[in-house]
Amino acid sequence: MAVEPDSLVDYSEEGVDLTLIRWTLSMTPRERLEFLEDRINDILAIRERNAGT
Amino acid sequence: MPERKLSAILRGLCENCIDFIVVGGVAAVLHGAPIQTYDLDVVYSRAPENIDRLLKFLGDVDAIFRTQPDRRLRPKASHLEGSGHLNLLTRFGPLDLLAHIGSDLTYNESLPRAVEMDVGEGLRVRVLDLETIIAIKEGLASEKDLAALPILRRTLRELNKDRDA
Repeated sequence: MAVEPDSLVDYSEEGVDLTLIRWTLSMTPRERLEFLEDRINDILAIRERNAGT
Repeated sequence: MPERKLSAILRGLCENCIDFIVVGGVAAVLHGAPIQTYDLDVVYSRAPENIDRLLKFLGDVDAIFRTQPDRRLRPKASHLEGSGHLNLLTRFGPLDLLAHIGSDLTYNESLPRAVEMDVGEGLRVRVLDLETIIAIKEGLASEKDLAALPILRRTLRELNKDRDA
């Protein structure tokens, strides 16, 4: 049976994505820090590549 | 571009035996809040020996004030002894040194509200608890802080649900 799209999202009344919170809570503090660093490095690399555009 | 910049700063602070607590956005991330942040905020002890260690570390990482980067102003002991916030740029990225947080919470007063976390490679750092982070952001009421509050409150609720389960 196909899963209805509405059952695949879970937002609080303020519009906070609860699935994202549960995903980050499933990680260790070390994994959270590494993920944040990777994201920052990725974003900075993209910004560097596009500097001046 | 060097990788793992946040870890490099945390490692340097630990290796220099500096008394500090991670606060702000990175602390919220370490607790599991899915927010994005670029700077590392720490509240530090203003004990004279800690200021000496901090000054050595800041020299090692080429710390300068972010306000006038062209002048490359370096922080001095007198800056660290004061009660303000030092917004610095190091070779590992931005680092904000706070003599106090919230209304007037110093390092010593923050200690009972901090938890120790393993952030990898043998590093254990003190991190301000999520309840206090939320209380401080509620008091600050800037647009940036208010925007993060729903996510932080929800993360705390989910965290407490996990603890109660």
